[in-house]
Amino acid sequence: MAEFSYYSGIPTFYMMIGIAMVAILIFLLGMYLNMQKWGGGSASHFLKTFIKSINHEKLGHHKRQSLLSTIILDILLQRRILRRSPFRWVMHMMIFVGWIGMFILSMVFAVFEMLHAINIGHFDLVVIRNSLDFSNEVLGYMLLIGLIIAIARRLVIPDVVKRTQIFDWVLVLGTLFITVTGFMAEGFRPDAITGAWTFLGDNVALAETFALFHVAISLLFCIAYIPYSKYMHMLAAPMVILVNGGGE
Amino acid sequence: MADEEKPRPVIPKGEPFIKTDVISPTFMMQYDACTRCGECDKWCPVLDAKDGDRKYSPMDKISRFRSFMGQSYGLKAKLFGPKKLDEDDIQDFTDAFFHCSTCGVCASVCPAGINTVDMYEATRQQLVMRGNGPYGKTVMFPKLIGEYRNPYMKDQKQRLDWIPDDVEIAEEADVAYFAGCTAGFNQQVLGVATARVLNHLNVPFIYLGEEETCCSSALIRTGQPHKGDIPYINAKHNVEALEARGVKKVMFACAGCYRVATIDWPKLLGRKPNFEVVHVADLLADLIQQGKIEWKKSFDNKIITYHDPCHLGRHCGVYETPRIVLDNLPGLKFVEMDRIKELQRCCGAGGGVKAGIADVALDIASERIRDAQAVNADILSSCCPFCRRNIGDGRDNVYDQIGATDYDLRDNPENKMQVEDMIVLVAELMGLSTKIKSQEEADKAAGVEPEAPKHLIDL
Ligand code: HEM
Ligand code: SF4
Ligand code: SF4
Ligand code: SF4
Repeated sequence: MAEFSYYSGIPTFYMMIGIAMVAILIFLLGMYLNMQKWGGGSASHFLKTFIKSINHEKLGHHKRQSLLSTIILDILLQRRILRRSPFRWVMHMMIFVGWIGMFILSMVFAVFEMLHAINIGHFDLVVIRNSLDFSNEVLGYMLLIGLIIAIARRLVIPDVVKRTQIFDWVLVLGTLFITVTGFMAEGFRPDAITGAWTFLGDNVALAETFALFHVAISLLFCIAYIPYSKYMHMLAAPMVILVNGGGE
Repeated sequence: MADEEKPRPVIPKGEPFIKTDVISPTFMMQYDACTRCGECDKWCPVLDAKDGDRKYSPMDKISRFRSFMGQSYGLKAKLFGPKKLDEDDIQDFTDAFFHCSTCGVCASVCPAGINTVDMYEATRQQLVMRGNGPYGKTVMFPKLIGEYRNPYMKDQKQRLDWIPDDVEIAEEADVAYFAGCTAGFNQQVLGVATARVLNHLNVPFIYLGEEETCCSSALIRTGQPHKGDIPYINAKHNVEALEARGVKKVMFACAGCYRVATIDWPKLLGRKPNFEVVHVADLLADLIQQGKIEWKKSFDNKIITYHDPCHLGRHCGVYETPRIVLDNLPGLKFVEMDRIKELQRCCGAGGGVKAGIADVALDIASERIRDAQAVNADILSSCCPFCRRNIGDGRDNVYDQIGATDYDLRDNPENKMQVEDMIVLVAELMGLSTKIKSQEEADKAAGVEPEAPKHLIDL
């Protein structure tokens, strides 16, 4: 039994690091190209202008709000979506919180794994993983429900159907695919509490391959692909809100 | 109406088909922030007037430009050179892109907080520089405003012609009245009413007269500020002339000029003028609240509603003071229509639409009339000469349609909804004449006695 080489589900920790590096490089390249595009050929010109414009003074009688309110109310709580449609706000919050939450938890666990791999600190990775399990489960279901609502909207509401393009489908369906493979990878792992293998009996090799597949496509789709897709809004929308000051 | 064949730009090999040099980096970023949620589509008056034709959807226009940008500056373009874009496609996009009144309701509702209006204006300029824009007759604006300093082809000397003999204009005062071209030449009743109201309220004011030049709003909104640099030249001229007269406040009764003074002057000049920019509604609301206004006339129990001019409301954030004024006018019950304040339905005149695509402007204005009909308004008021003109046209259009079958209305045209600017109503209710100079002179020549408007009763 390979239970102790099997923490996050990745057979070779270094393989994960490798894929993560590739994903981050592709992401950075895309971000660089985007900033270059925005900055008229110069990414640094973009960055300078962007930083200077944050919460720039509004002209006219428009009320100003503090940067903190913009960050909390408009970016984190997304009241601009809520104000237009509570239904879509619930949908998006499920996706947003689920996605960001799992992203953060994965990062936290990756740090522990890295520390473990280079023999710093004394902790039991299984215990850590198990302690994150419940949160991961809740966030995973939030993301799943949010995506199902998003897909249903795009299939059912006539106005939304009419204006849906491939660009929109790629994002929702891609994210759904990753969420589903995540649940399956989870299902293939030994049960957090009892330690019993679920789904696949103890076909460790298959479980490991599947987990690797899930992590690889997550990294590629959810990180590397951001600057090249509609995912870009998750960075650009908050950046625009910072510049324009959000509000109401 | 498509434009006449436009000359095709020559694009050197390996160069992107659309440049971005006049679109600021933060506006470029906004194109990538669009979440394609479709909220803007639900509110856009032009998309409505075009019966939902996706070509005119603000969301799809944004996606289309983003895709041009991706093909010109994305990864593939970096590796294999910018993609050759189809010129017909760019022209088709440009024509759709100028089908927009820059009303800004899409910005109000956008969850990503995109400042669509400024982004569109910069993009329009880029398309004009490329030779694809503007659209229709708006191409004449730079020549007219550049040559005549006003869009109505009048001599600058005629700027004083609207001032009736009874109106007193001070040599020196804390307040200046910036009449603008429309009130000065084209809808003089607005200039006359404003001046008489200010006189009546003992607010001495100066007027630049022949020295005043067009605010150049039409050029900025239609992406033509670079042609002869006219908006900058006129901004510098007007601001410096006003500052030289040492005024503390500059008063506007035109939403278009007020928008330019509030937002575009500081941007064009890179500094704020040394005076305060106020709308006449601000002054009136203030005096009403202090109980300093006395009305002489009253309406006979009519219902009034208010249309927020986009350039005053959404663009500059002035929503309340015109409402305070209208709500206090005697004999009127103030009601709100559907779609007001930051969600207001534009009248359809702005952004070069009235001049360039008259049928769209008329359709949108007709919708606004229907909004007012839905709340049984007798009077639809606003604070902008362009709203007044266009909604007035919309009213005639709607009544032409129902007039064919509604004999009562055909026989009693005075039962038509009245479309009137706030300042004209205020002047009438103060018992002031709103006759323009030429009309007064004609009356005098014909020996006609001036009489008070028939629809008002004495208080
Ligand atoms: C402040 C940040 C963000 C804002 C303002 C924002 C806004 C929006 C809006 C308005 C939509 C359109 C919803 C619709 O189609 O009705 C959307 C879609 C979506 N957003 Fe975000 N978003 C943000 C961040 C994020 C983040 C961090 C994620 C993480 C994954 C995310 C994932 C998605 C997904 C998957 C969709 C697609 C839903 C669909 O197409 O039906 N968003 N977002
Ligand atoms: S500014 Fe107004 S007319 Fe233009 S796209 Fe937005 S909603 Fe439509
Ligand atoms: S409202 Fe904003 S985010 Fe939504 S489609 Fe329109 S521009 Fe894009
Ligand atoms: S004329 Fe009035 S409602 Fe119409 S675009 Fe201008 S400000 Fe807006």
